[in-house]
Amino acid sequence: MNTNYIIVSEYCEKCHIDPEFILLLDESGLVDLEVIGDESYLPVAQLKDVEQYTRMYYDLSINMEGIDAIRHLLKRIESLQEEVLDLKERLRLYE
Amino acid sequence: MAYIDYYNILGVSKDASQEDIKKAFKKLARKYHPDLNPNDPDAHRKFQEINEANEVLSDPEKRKKYDEYGENWKHADEFEAQRQQANSQGGGFHTSFWSSSDGEADAGEFSDFFESLFGSRRGSGRRQAYGYRGQDYTAELHLTLQEAAETHKQVLTVNGKNLRITVPAGVANGQTIKLAGQGGAGMNGGPAGDLYITFVIPDDARFKRKGDDLYETVPIDLYTAVLGGEQIVETLNGKVKLKVQPGTQNQTKVRLKGKGFPVYKQEGVFGDLILTYTVTIPTNLSEQQKNLFRQIQSLS
Repeated sequence: MNTNYIIVSEYCEKCHIDPEFILLLDESGLVDLEVIGDESYLPVAQLKDVEQYTRMYYDLSINMEGIDAIRHLLKRIESLQEEVLDLKERLRLYE
Repeated sequence: MAYIDYYNILGVSKDASQEDIKKAFKKLARKYHPDLNPNDPDAHRKFQEINEANEVLSDPEKRKKYDEYGENWKHADEFEAQRQQANSQGGGFHTSFWSSSDGEADAGEFSDFFESLFGSRRGSGRRQAYGYRGQDYTAELHLTLQEAAETHKQVLTVNGKNLRITVPAGVANGQTIKLAGQGGAGMNGGPAGDLYITFVIPDDARFKRKGDDLYETVPIDLYTAVLGGEQIVETLNGKVKLKVQPGTQNQTKVRLKGKGFPVYKQEGVFGDLILTYTVTIPTNLSEQQKNLFRQIQSLS
């Protein structure tokens, strides 16, 4: 499978984000950067997550540990919402 | 249009300091931010209120004007006309708080109350306005198996907005597609959210679907099973006539290549239809029929 990457330094420059922040996300295990030579690359698939983490970090002043905890809880919410959807569908068959 | 009590929304007193307002906003934003409340329209609406309250109260100029007019905001224009008249006559109005709009792009999602009082939907530009991405919406689209087998257009109503989408043939139950930018509007110049549509395709009475293959149970009578013959079978695209081999056993499976479900986004490619014959044993036989069966039994 092909993976598209974005150069972290370019992304940070365009979005006015401190590159240290992206590295911090990487160190915290919130994103997986690819390092080739001197350049760090961010998989495009993780861009939406990075945007969300950026809002949490800069706009809501949530630290990395908080973002990580929220990430886990959001995953649980998502899975519970899917389960509710599935159960509603099954219930519909009996109505 | 009702008066909005921004102090009440942020839960601060009228003499709250800028630091108090900032703290209250951050606390409430962490509680109601769309990123932290997926698929929750109430939280999204609450967040818009908080954001608007912060937009006014964190800006000293806007706050001053808001405090000045308070619940008499509807008469703000009249006051302003009087003020201008008084100024031109050398009168006593000293405060100048009706600043014009800053000419910024209209991209916010603030209330009519805010707009009537401040004209512009955005901040004064003296501080950074937060640009929030709009909320992602999710919607369910219920399709019958037959509908899911054909590429067709469908109109969806999401949050009062009609969207015409093309449903490609072969979508699966539970499959979600994303319509970028069709979610909630962004705030303060932020991009719109996305719309996620999940397809719900209940089991069909005739066909069972596994991936792109369809399964169908076909009852055949005992005589056709024993002697062979022809059987009309219903497929997704109509009826087909099949030859039944003599001596066909109960639960015999027959695979019809390419008569299954269309493969998603691969035009002209179909799965298979797998038929399972169930042999129906005759009941309520007459005495003559029973005798004939006994004769067969004695011969075998």
